Amino acid sequence: MIDVIDLHKAFGTKKVLDGTNLHVERGQTMVVIGGSGTGKSVLLKHIIGLLKPDSGSVLIEGMDITRLNEKSLYEIRKKFGMLFQGAALFDSMNVWQNVSFALLRAGMKEEEARYIAIENLRRVGLTNVEDLMPSELSGGMRKRVGLARAIAHKPEVLLYDEPTTGIDPILADAINDLIIKMKVELHVTGVAITHDMQSAYKIGDRIAMLYQGRIVGEGTPEEIKSSTNPYIRQFVTGSAQGPIKIEGVRET
Amino acid sequence: MQEIGINSVPVVLITAVFTGMVLALQTFTGFKRFGAESLVGSVVALSMTREMGPVLTGLIVAGRAGAAMAAELGTMRVTEQIDALETLATKPVKYLIVPRFLSGLFMLPSLTILADIIGILGGYAVAVGLFRLNSVLYWKRTWDVMETGDIYHGLVKAAFFGAAISLISCYKGFYTSGGAEGVGKATTGAVVISFMTILISDYFLSAWLF
Repeated sequence: MIDVIDLHKAFGTKKVLDGTNLHVERGQTMVVIGGSGTGKSVLLKHIIGLLKPDSGSVLIEGMDITRLNEKSLYEIRKKFGMLFQGAALFDSMNVWQNVSFALLRAGMKEEEARYIAIENLRRVGLTNVEDLMPSELSGGMRKRVGLARAIAHKPEVLLYDEPTTGIDPILADAINDLIIKMKVELHVTGVAITHDMQSAYKIGDRIAMLYQGRIVGEGTPEEIKSSTNPYIRQFVTGSAQGPIKIEGVRET
Repeated sequence: MQEIGINSVPVVLITAVFTGMVLALQTFTGFKRFGAESLVGSVVALSMTREMGPVLTGLIVAGRAGAAMAAELGTMRVTEQIDALETLATKPVKYLIVPRFLSGLFMLPSLTILADIIGILGGYAVAVGLFRLNSVLYWKRTWDVMETGDIYHGLVKAAFFGAAISLISCYKGFYTSGGAEGVGKATTGAVVISFMTILISDYFLSAWLF
């Protein structure tokens, strides 16, 4: 479904992606783990074409989206839904208008769009919030609304940018359950980036670790748990000692 | 539209009326020295329509609406709302910038007409009310010198300023980076560059138009 091939991207002199390769099977959820600032978000933004790579390609069902013109790119984006880290709800609109934004833009009547929004909100476990403004929601609710918006146009691929960051462990687990539910009920292919290992083990069919712009190891959650790869070992055990250097901190 | 237009009306009114008043006050005092006080009406009318109306309105709109545009788009950028628009297959430029550009282009001339009228009335109030200048003579001097071209060219300037303000502010907001601090910088930048653009282009537009 998704193939990332030898992706390179630098911002100024800082190389963020340095030959990244990733393959995601249809219907599976791939979790990309890695420390802060390792380019996970940048990778995700390439998959949906928000960023253009310096070189390399991103194939969606065999089609290279990095070479598409704007019109075709917007067409292919309809296959995607994305849950942003801070939910990125439009704060000038209320909840149901947010959820049905793409449908309203496509010309659907307000009444119908509102009805569908309520359905989608129920799917993510929310009721009676459709007329609230985003500023009236808690962090966990915002994420759910963001997810309802991401699934509104029935995408084939869902991208999750740090889905469990910034919310408490119980809410985080509820979000994990939702991500699994989306996969099972909507048969979507998922790509999530996170540094929350508990979440990664739970939602991932496969887990890949990104370090210094490359995938340094990949496997099923079981394989990752018992991996001997020093990078993966250090990350999953959460140790400051090992091959991964903490940026900006001098060795003592 | 609402933001640029309706919400700016009170500030524009106050600015215009006092500008008209002070123009009348100063020219009356000056012109009295060589007995030309009847020309106050002409000076107020020409200054307002050609210069003060469009430029002051432009500066007000840049300070109010330009800053608001940059801050709003900047916040949308740093909270990933602009990325979210793209993922929902909506072109941010078309959805966010085009309407703001159009409202800048049309609302600034509308506000300028208002400023012109109120400014001239302010001048009238001072000249006739305070200095007991003949009311008929004031209006006669106003209409005698003012040509349609004065108003029209003033409005062309205003439209240019409106377009410039919205483009500069949207650009600054759209390409914001660096969180809350970045939004602050973008907003400041939008206002400062808009002010400079208005004042500098005003000279060249005046030289070209009149």
